[in-house]
Amino acid sequence: MPCPKTEHLLQEYFADDLAPLAGEEIERHLAQCEHCSQELEALLLTQTQLSTWQDEKTPHWDRGVELFKRENGISKEPRGWFSAWQWVPTAASLAMFGILMLNISFATTESGFTLSFGAEVNDADLQDVVSSLRAEQEAEFDALMARFEERQDANNLQLIQAVMTQTQQSSAENLDRLFAYFEEQRIQDMQLLSQSYQQLVDSDYATIQSLQDLAQFVSFQSSVQ
Amino acid sequence: MSSIDEDEALTAAALNGSAVAWEKLVRRYESRVYNQGLRLMGNPADAMDLVQEVFLGVYRNLHRFRGDAKFSSWVFRIAHNKAVDLNRRKRILAGTVSGGAEDDQDPLDSVPTDARSEPDNRLVQFEQNKNTMELLMQLPFEQRLIVELKIFQSLTFEEIAQMQDISENTAKTRFYTALRKLKTVSEENHALS
Repeated sequence: MPCPKTEHLLQEYFADDLAPLAGEEIERHLAQCEHCSQELEALLLTQTQLSTWQDEKTPHWDRGVELFKRENGISKEPRGWFSAWQWVPTAASLAMFGILMLNISFATTESGFTLSFGAEVNDADLQDVVSSLRAEQEAEFDALMARFEERQDANNLQLIQAVMTQTQQSSAENLDRLFAYFEEQRIQDMQLLSQSYQQLVDSDYATIQSLQDLAQFVSFQSSVQ
Repeated sequence: MSSIDEDEALTAAALNGSAVAWEKLVRRYESRVYNQGLRLMGNPADAMDLVQEVFLGVYRNLHRFRGDAKFSSWVFRIAHNKAVDLNRRKRILAGTVSGGAEDDQDPLDSVPTDARSEPDNRLVQFEQNKNTMELLMQLPFEQRLIVELKIFQSLTFEEIAQMQDISENTAKTRFYTALRKLKTVSEENHALS
């Protein structure tokens, strides 16, 4: 059953500085009034639910640092001894790259030292290198050709065998079919011959019958005369 | 060095032009302002807008900070005012006149799209925060602000009343009304689920 005191009472319950007397009065009422105590319980539960919030991480942003630097006239970071040397690794890398690309060589001799750009070329050595490379390539080419021929021969052999096997099978099948055809023809011919013979026999029989009839008629005619 | 002393030292260094001190100062408070923004505005984009406006305001007024109040209180007073401004601008842009519940906000927007790839505890955290935001977004902005100040920032009704230029009783009534509305919505949600 709704209680007329609920609103005022619970508003006071959530106040920061509740006087002890007022607190006791509220507690006394809550102990007696089921509606108010239930309402308070539900409100406290809601408050607890809200308190489950866990802080989420802030997305990345520049924190106004650029604006701060700009407006405070800090165009660049102060250049200490370290910042003056920060280009050294890059410069060293570039120098090494140049040395590699230009093929720079440094040699000491009895008369001093020599610095040369690009590799020294000796014709005889170059010829040796070229001829050995050519011989190597030729040997490799020959070996490749030999392997190719072997493989090609093996392939051809397999192909011929396959064709022959196919042909043999095909010939046997053809002969079987021819034999079957001849046999069938022979049986048909025999049947035809038998029918023809039977017809001939029947025809002979009919002829004999006719002749007998004729003979009887002739003898009858003779007796009549 | 206590937190307050550290704030004072960083503020002084920032006023002397130290960008490092300024960045440290921002780092100390950005998370609290961002999370306040999430709860008040209901989505990460507006929360970030709030963060940027608050720290721009802090920067512009840093020389006025006298040190007679805590730096954190000063920052959150600015955050409160900026949140009210931002909400007003959003309302004007959206063409709404009344201060009713802002149902057009989708609390799901606040959950990062890659939440599925987060570990379980992060998912639980996002889920709980999402529920809290869903609840809070059912309130009119003024009531949401009171809940924020009372529950999340633990201010007294007297401080809230001063900050919002209202009477203490009005602050209490708004808080109670907000809590009752939240309770009703929460019960409805439970009944539906």
